[in-house]
Amino acid sequence: MKEIRILYLYPDMLELYGDYGNLQVLKYRMEKRDIQVIIDRYSIGDPKPDFLSYDLIFAGGGADNEQSILAKDLLQYEEEIKEAVRQKVFFLLICGAYQLFGKYYKGVEGNIIPGLAIFDYYTEASTDRTKRCIGNIVIEVNIGEKQTKVIGFENHGGQTHGITTPFGKVLFGNGNQFKDTQEGFFLPHVIATYLHGPLLAKNPEIADYVISTCLTRKYEEKMDLLKLDDELEEKCRKQLLVRFIPVEKQ
Amino acid sequence: MRDTLIILLMKIANFILKILGKQGGNVLGKIAKKLSPNILSTFNINCPVIAVTATNGKTMTNNAIASMLRQAGKHVICNTEGNNMETGILSMFLKTCSLTGKLKADYICLEVDESYVPIVFSKIHLDTLIVLDFFRDQLDRNGEVESLILKLEEFLKTYQGNLILNQDDPNVVRLGYANPQNSKVYYFHAEAYCHATKEITEAGEGKFCPLCKTRLMYDYYQYSHIGKFHCPNCEYGKQESYVTASNIDLEGKEFIANGIPFTMQSESIYVVYNFLAVISVANLYHIDIEDVQKALSTFELNKGRLEKLTIQGVPTIINLAKNPTGSNVSLRLLREDPEPKELLFVLNDKIADGFDVSWIWDINFNELGQVQRIITSGTRAYDMAIRIKTSGYPINIIEAELDLNKAVHKLYQTNVKKYIIANYTALEPTRKEILTLEKELGK
Repeated sequence: MKEIRILYLYPDMLELYGDYGNLQVLKYRMEKRDIQVIIDRYSIGDPKPDFLSYDLIFAGGGADNEQSILAKDLLQYEEEIKEAVRQKVFFLLICGAYQLFGKYYKGVEGNIIPGLAIFDYYTEASTDRTKRCIGNIVIEVNIGEKQTKVIGFENHGGQTHGITTPFGKVLFGNGNQFKDTQEGFFLPHVIATYLHGPLLAKNPEIADYVISTCLTRKYEEKMDLLKLDDELEEKCRKQLLVRFIPVEKQ
Repeated sequence: MRDTLIILLMKIANFILKILGKQGGNVLGKIAKKLSPNILSTFNINCPVIAVTATNGKTMTNNAIASMLRQAGKHVICNTEGNNMETGILSMFLKTCSLTGKLKADYICLEVDESYVPIVFSKIHLDTLIVLDFFRDQLDRNGEVESLILKLEEFLKTYQGNLILNQDDPNVVRLGYANPQNSKVYYFHAEAYCHATKEITEAGEGKFCPLCKTRLMYDYYQYSHIGKFHCPNCEYGKQESYVTASNIDLEGKEFIANGIPFTMQSESIYVVYNFLAVISVANLYHIDIEDVQKALSTFELNKGRLEKLTIQGVPTIINLAKNPTGSNVSLRLLREDPEPKELLFVLNDKIADGFDVSWIWDINFNELGQVQRIITSGTRAYDMAIRIKTSGYPINIIEAELDLNKAVHKLYQTNVKKYIIANYTALEPTRKEILTLEKELGK
């Protein structure tokens, strides 16, 4: 039986927007295909995890207060995490976690929270505390050899700059900055994005991309995933795409 | 002079609206505030003002306090309908005051939106504030829980009145430290009920001690993050209780508070907590305990709040749930009910609901017992169906139906007991559909 090991970072702190749903979706879709899923959790005070022993590392978004507490904790693993990225362990990073993997986060009062600086981008809070990028969002992504639309919800004050390889092109909503054309950060084994929803719930193609990328790396062969019954997801996507995007643009 | 004139004009406008058979809603308050921004401070109030704020349970608790005081023969003015922002309270005052702006009552009971507490009570003298709980709620509209708590803390720094706090919510207890000069802080607490757990089973807030940032320890969780907690590093969570509930028996709908037995109409743990707030108020104002017992034993919740109906001969329970905790306490009822049942969950994403439906992933759908069929409806019916499917329920028992009328008809094709959960804007239309169905079939 194939097995995928997932490390879930700061589950009790980065859990504001139902992002854990991403792991529920991954687990569901893997177990339907007889792939065993092991999810280990790490948070402040736990023993140091062996980052390289995992196939997927996941972290979500949290409240500002908690994010600054955990940033300090995360930084002690800078080298290990860098090595895991080099060895192409899959990273799925949502919202706050996306920001923490960049160079820094500059708060409203000018305070700087240093990031892991694994990627070159950086984030600065919008100077007006009441202004945030909030709302439904649809982006177009090229993933695997396919093009698909990804539907989610964004809620962030931070404006992320310096992205050269975005996750997707914005069709509806804001993106990395107010009224941006691009959203998130992407490498074949890294998806970093502001999309909640959670991200994978309405985007089974992205979920399957994550799963097959992990399997291919681990078992060193390309595997076709068993097709699942995604009728509800397809209907959901159809309903929402009609709502958010004018027909001529679809 | 000017404000008294505005009050008089609004009274006349109200009179005309009444003749026309119109309620007016918040309109009077909106106009009056526009004409005079500080008009709320000009009313003549000569009685204690008691206010309730929280994420969940404001309306129920406020109405229960009013009904308890009325049982004791007091004359009470209360915003029963849940108009809990400044203009809503202002409208209610304008409708109930005398021509000269006097509010004649023994008590004024107000439920107030969390973020409006500092605004409303910079203009009205507050005698007692009750804070029940803080949960995540419509994050895209309200922001993070933390920012709401900070607003209240700021207000409480100079507040001198009574403060009644839920001792089992670490975010609420924080408020007891806001003004060290104020000794009039009273905590209510409940001992573990039979479905309390050692580990948290639902999304919660406030895992860290606000005083020293150490991770809090829990003896038990009642629901969400509500439970008996303490800080292993400092004194946080070791307050003395003013009112304590014990022997909570939800099946028997009874509990004991400070040695006195109480009965109630509902079988939900959060009703017990809300009633502990009511009992705390009663103790503070020396209300005869028999009146309190009587008021609570007959207290009926508003329509659509844990409401029990019989539709087509089928027992039905309908409850509002606008955030994860609201949904979780509703689902607890399913879990605690051994009978076969079916669930209808109606989820909308209109302005008043918040556009973000990610919160449904914070709902605990595990182990709902004998749920034979699940129907989802509302503008986000599919999102909800996907959410439930992912918890492992067979796809063939889940049906998503955007059209509410069709969803309700499908639901009543069987005569298995129904549980209906609906979020904010979905509640009234859903209730209407099932009541219409009952009428149609009754003919």
